[in-house]
Amino acid sequence: MKIDLAVIGQGAVSPAGVGVEPLRHREPFPASVSAISQPDQPWPVLRVDLKNPAFARWQNEPRLRRVSSMTFFLVEAAEQALAGVSSAVRAETGLIVAFSAGCTTYSLRFFGSIVTQGQKTASPALFPETVFNSPVSHAASILGLNGAAYAVIGDETAWVAALKAASVWLQRERVRQVLVLGAEEFDPIVLDAYRSARWLRRNNPSNGFLASEGAAGILVRRSGPEDVRMITTARDGLIYRTKKEAAAAAERLLGESDPALPCYRSAQRNWIGSLEKKTTENRSSVPIKEQPYLGEAFTASAAWHTLRALAALTPQLPRLLLPVWGLNHQFGLLELETRK
Amino acid sequence: MSRSIVVTGFGAVTPLGENFSVSWKALIAGNDAVAPLNLFDTTGCRCHHAASASLPPLPDLPAKAIRRLARASRLAIPAAREALASAGLLDAEGRSTLRELPFSVATTAGGMAFGEDFVRRVLARDRSHLFSEVSRYLSQQQVLDVQQALGFAGHSAIIANACASGANAIGHAADLIAVGEADCVLTGGFEALTELVFVGFDCLQATSTDRCRPFDLNRTGLLLGEAAAFLVLETSEHAQRRGATPLCHLTGYGHTTDFFHLTQPQPDGAALIEVMRTATSQARIAPAQIGYINAHGTATPVNDGVEAKAYGTFFGDAPGSTRVSSTKAAIGHALGAAGAVEALFAIEALRTGHLPPQLNLQTPIPEIAPALVGGKEFSGDIQHVMSVNLGFGGSNAALIFSRRPSP
Repeated sequence: MKIDLAVIGQGAVSPAGVGVEPLRHREPFPASVSAISQPDQPWPVLRVDLKNPAFARWQNEPRLRRVSSMTFFLVEAAEQALAGVSSAVRAETGLIVAFSAGCTTYSLRFFGSIVTQGQKTASPALFPETVFNSPVSHAASILGLNGAAYAVIGDETAWVAALKAASVWLQRERVRQVLVLGAEEFDPIVLDAYRSARWLRRNNPSNGFLASEGAAGILVRRSGPEDVRMITTARDGLIYRTKKEAAAAAERLLGESDPALPCYRSAQRNWIGSLEKKTTENRSSVPIKEQPYLGEAFTASAAWHTLRALAALTPQLPRLLLPVWGLNHQFGLLELETRK
Repeated sequence: MSRSIVVTGFGAVTPLGENFSVSWKALIAGNDAVAPLNLFDTTGCRCHHAASASLPPLPDLPAKAIRRLARASRLAIPAAREALASAGLLDAEGRSTLRELPFSVATTAGGMAFGEDFVRRVLARDRSHLFSEVSRYLSQQQVLDVQQALGFAGHSAIIANACASGANAIGHAADLIAVGEADCVLTGGFEALTELVFVGFDCLQATSTDRCRPFDLNRTGLLLGEAAAFLVLETSEHAQRRGATPLCHLTGYGHTTDFFHLTQPQPDGAALIEVMRTATSQARIAPAQIGYINAHGTATPVNDGVEAKAYGTFFGDAPGSTRVSSTKAAIGHALGAAGAVEALFAIEALRTGHLPPQLNLQTPIPEIAPALVGGKEFSGDIQHVMSVNLGFGGSNAALIFSRRPSP
């Protein structure tokens, strides 16, 4: 799908820090957390520092009294991307947020209390916060985004679906601009999930797959002559169930794209990383200095990589491919371009 | 809509039947599907009943594959198959004739029952079978189940806008077609009853221990349900090229967010009025031209009063000849699937003139009482229908279907 999205704002929260710059330059500080089913065996993980002063402005918001960390990541990244946008323009701005797991912390806390203490202890304060679009609603309300709002879910490629939806809204003139974000939060239970999938490795764990969290987003509009960075193609729908199907989908994904375009490598530290290496070995890679590994946070990771890839565009590198490797449904791809 | 968009097929699995036709007949007959809930233990809940669906057989799939499916997939696959079949898009092997078929779909909980089992095992420190459970609870797995069972791939978007998701998914499909990104889209929603969601609504005291009575002064809460419903949308030209008969046109879609409260609509219904105005404006019709509204009508104390007030404002004090009912009294509130299954009921009302009755009325809300559909109502001259949904987080959406587009 050819799309026409000019990127006019960016924001990020990651274990490397608050803001877009730390994504490329700052090593995240690893923490250590145990899976719930193995409390005596900690794994390295990458966490966002919620004590960062940037979050203080959100912690006093009445609407955010009961939210989990993901909503703070989301509104902070969103506000960065909206910097300088007037309230009048915000009122005509749509919001689309991609999630993979949603509010894991509260979902576990809510259902965990049912399992351990019975249904009568279920918390009416927690349940609404477990709903996928609650953080979207909070963000839209606090930031004054009166346009339409969608929560789009899936694996990493939900980020691509969200960008496509933004493109459709802009073409339909439903909104003037769209803020598109990906957001995820860490809870120890994800270690149980990753362990069961054999993504975590006991030998040399710090060089393996690291669970992570955060958010990132871009503010987009239809491009004009003054715009510098664009997303010009969004492809998805290459589905797979098995690793064999995944290999075929990856070959097809890259095979359909311009072979001369350099490819940004996101280098996941699991079987997808190996597949990416094999599929892209005959292509030139985006010539960027090695950047810190930020761990895996699904839609947030897809958004981080998009910001990094946008930053790599130069007059000498005016176009590049950014594959989006979904971990359990499909693969997608974005084509990025600079016109200056 | 800039390109003419038609509905060429639909299918549903609901608590009233294993396909759309059976469900519709039971709905028009005034049946409901309320029954004690036995999918999981509800001992600690206030409410113990729901509208659960019988799972249709899946003769094309091996037993082992069926055992691996989430309940949500067991609902979604037959509903999607029925939609493709009625649109003439299935080959002799029961596979989609379109190998690339965009899929715009809604859910709120996906395969949550697998996630619940995963949590139970983890908390019990039982590390067996964790991967099979965690890998299958995510919503994209049910989407993949449908895609692989019916043999198609392509762009998919899973919209999780709470109870308005189904309407949003259909509206998004229409948007994809309108801007020329697709000629044909399979769209709809699925939702299976799960303990987390049931207990969630129960602890909010949003579920009723009485009958579900939408738009009644004595309403006490909603009836939870489950369903899957899909429809095939395509351009008129695409339908004509392949010889498909249009069932109706999708002519309007409006959606917005109500910031008033996470779980309550703005008291004056401003957001709902806005989406209805957007949808009618897009359809180029006046409110009075809408013959039937499938209302959101959850039967919660807050929702129905606001919704009735919004209709009053939208229609200018009285709905006039427009008829209104909420089918949630019959099939329950299917959350992410609600917008899709209710859109299908609205379409069938448009096509047949038979209007779904408003069940369980004792003392109707006065502002809307004259508009509520009674038993066995028939209106053969309806030209336009609307389906309306509201959800947690302030999601509001309205869809308009028409016999033919307005000039």
